[in-house]
Amino acid sequence: MDNFDVIVVGAGILGLSVAYNAQKGGARVLVLDAGATAYEASSRATGYLSLRGETPAESPLAQEAEKLWDGLSDELGYPTEWTQKGRIWAAFHERELEELKQLYGSFRKTDVPFEFLDGDALRQMIPCLSETCLGGIWTQRSGHANPQRTSQAFAWAFSDLGGEIREHTPVLELLVEGGKAKGVRTAQGELHCGKVALCAAAHNTLLLDPLGIRFPLAPVRLEALVTTPMPPLFDQAFIGNGLSIRQTKRGNLHMNGGPYEWIDLDIGKEAAKPNTQIVRNILRRAIETMPVLKGAQFLRSWAGIVDMAPDQMTTIHAFDNPDGLVTAACSGHGFGMAPAVGIAVAELLLKGETRMPIDQLSLDRFKSISPEWRTRRNWQAGQYNT
Amino acid sequence: MLGKIVVVGASSAGCTLALAAQAAGHDVTLVDEHPQAMKDMSFDAPWFYGAALPSALLNENSIAQAVLEGSPTLMECLESGVDLRVSTVLWGAFRDGPNCVNVGRPKVGLVTREGNEMLEHDTLIIATGVRDFVPSFKGWDLPGVFGGKAGIALLDLYQVYEGRRTVVLGTSDLAMRFIRSARARGVEIVAVLEVGDEVEAGPEAAAWLAGEGIPVHLAHVIQEARGKTAVAGATCISLENGATFAVACDTIAVAIATLPNIELPAAMGCRMRYEPAVASWVPEVDALGTTSLENVFWVEDEGRAEGLLALIGGQDHVADVPSRATLRRNALDYIKAWVAALHQTGQDDVVLCQCETVSRGAFCGMTPPTYLESRLRHEQTPVTQGENLKAPRINQDFLKRMTRVSMGHCQGKRCRDEAAVTLSIRFGVDLQAIRPASYRFPLRPIDLGVIADDDESDEIRLNWQMWPYETRQD
Repeated sequence: MDNFDVIVVGAGILGLSVAYNAQKGGARVLVLDAGATAYEASSRATGYLSLRGETPAESPLAQEAEKLWDGLSDELGYPTEWTQKGRIWAAFHERELEELKQLYGSFRKTDVPFEFLDGDALRQMIPCLSETCLGGIWTQRSGHANPQRTSQAFAWAFSDLGGEIREHTPVLELLVEGGKAKGVRTAQGELHCGKVALCAAAHNTLLLDPLGIRFPLAPVRLEALVTTPMPPLFDQAFIGNGLSIRQTKRGNLHMNGGPYEWIDLDIGKEAAKPNTQIVRNILRRAIETMPVLKGAQFLRSWAGIVDMAPDQMTTIHAFDNPDGLVTAACSGHGFGMAPAVGIAVAELLLKGETRMPIDQLSLDRFKSISPEWRTRRNWQAGQYNT
Repeated sequence: MLGKIVVVGASSAGCTLALAAQAAGHDVTLVDEHPQAMKDMSFDAPWFYGAALPSALLNENSIAQAVLEGSPTLMECLESGVDLRVSTVLWGAFRDGPNCVNVGRPKVGLVTREGNEMLEHDTLIIATGVRDFVPSFKGWDLPGVFGGKAGIALLDLYQVYEGRRTVVLGTSDLAMRFIRSARARGVEIVAVLEVGDEVEAGPEAAAWLAGEGIPVHLAHVIQEARGKTAVAGATCISLENGATFAVACDTIAVAIATLPNIELPAAMGCRMRYEPAVASWVPEVDALGTTSLENVFWVEDEGRAEGLLALIGGQDHVADVPSRATLRRNALDYIKAWVAALHQTGQDDVVLCQCETVSRGAFCGMTPPTYLESRLRHEQTPVTQGENLKAPRINQDFLKRMTRVSMGHCQGKRCRDEAAVTLSIRFGVDLQAIRPASYRFPLRPIDLGVIADDDESDEIRLNWQMWPYETRQD
């Protein structure tokens, strides 16, 4: 007889972090996913912790996550490849440099020590950086990790505590009775529990809609690729020329970038995630950014689905009605946020409150948003833009 | 409406189809990766050349000539005006589909040593043939170990075979083709090892081997390829009593089986099914070879393409074409027997993934790669939980990610199939229930300098996501 305190919908890194923390907090937790563990946004993630200089409202939560990252491998008992060597946002054209300088004002509203450096200073840190790099924002804080290994570290640590993950078990409906979350309906039948955590990226929108709740998220397909291993080049989390580029512990260069292709999802279905010829443009930009990469080989490409809120910020929301339902989504930077989001959601589920700084991150900020918001932003399915 | 046709794979079926399409008035391009650059050959795809490539292969002109002269139908294609692209890798194929509606007309990515091109077309015919299946054993990474197809290519196609004394693993038709070619060129076959109790290719083949005085050891496999810098000998082991004997040799031909080259249809998203007869996932096709994707056709290796030929010729209806798969014996059983015997007689420390140097034991135990200097707190299983009986029980991508087996330079061409069979044997899960490791573009590793685009359109440049500006409001 199934008897769960908490059902987590979504076995991405957010759902797994929530599940781990809730199980650790004494609850009996079941995780359900329409597909396999860490197969959507969590598999496409670059693997950065963003300290959210660009959205200071999120920065306190990101900084909580940062504290957790330092001890995460030991906490979970499995490697995450966390590399705490700082982060760079670099500009390659005069216009970009001016925009980055303006943005630096926003970065300085956070408690994080950001600096603005010129191209030569950045090249001292990353000698393979192109001569065309004009400068950028730098912080010695933050870093990167391996998204797939980290997701699995959460999954294994959760299983070690007695938690259960059921893959290929799509949730088709959230069950509510008398203003309280009661469980979920899957393709295999109903599963009942006291609390539900909805961490299913843009599926959140589809599953909440029948309850009359609007969680504005738009799904988007993005592409990623890796090269063959290179000798050690740099270990900072690098962003520039429209790419995020990190060198893995193995030596491969892992990169993300490109136009956003907005899509629609189907409830309970694993989304198709094809690549396009745009990977050639990513590689061209990579060589522009670090000419030494010309010597590497293009090894593998893939795509993932990311969910975007209108303000591209994290959302964490505990509902009064239905009671016992908490949801979260992170607009494409959930990987770095996950350790803190997991604690926040687990605490909201089990205690009704959290020590994590999430005051500005609830769904309330979208109360007056138009139902047509995706069309207004040009984010409707089929659009190919930013 | 077939329109502009791209045929990939200049096998005899590929050439025949290209010629028929040309004769029917279609604009047709025929692409084949052979003859490959030596660097590409070293990735052991599609044929497993191993670590020793004869230096004669460096003479690219004579090699190209040998390839053309060795294939009359290829010459015919050239003479009839087919747009023939040899030494050209088709690295990717892109088309509109679910969650991807901005590609426009279907495109294939072609790359040569000089540069790359996106070729638009309407119809894609995939006739990519087969690749070598070479399972692991101790010393399989030594120069002098190669696959059956590679051996036949070195002997007959390139005529640069350097072995004098060869041990052959397997007695299938593939092994027999290799042995006959090797004998014709004066190579001594010092031992033939067969996992089963009889010669796989049948009694006639067994009689021929006996008549030639070629020593065949039934119920034997290789325990170790010996040698310091190259193969100098082989240790063979009996499956009946564990007795071993050593034989001196300079080459080991692993001619157990071939597998279809499915990376293109798989990466394109063609619906696939598991076919034990060929020990592989293959595209679901109808009698014409139509895959689940419109105007994408799959032609089985040495398969009959009458239906597709008739379609190209403009016939509306074609007679039912009997499937060949049912006529073939089960390749999966044969491959499984080899892998099981090699693992039983070998050790868990034998390297399974050459690129990433991961042992069989580390793979099955999901041990983190050595460079992480880390371990798992508790033992874990790759077998998934859940009540969905149709769901995969093991996800090979997951093992790739954890162990890096099949993540290396050869893109898993060497080890991915043995890895899947290993999981099936050790965890008691049918291969059908193992979600195979995803095939990804590019289908071959490509130098960044060659593949990088130099024609980024204004529209793409304008719409390129420039982090960290994502928070700008409209």
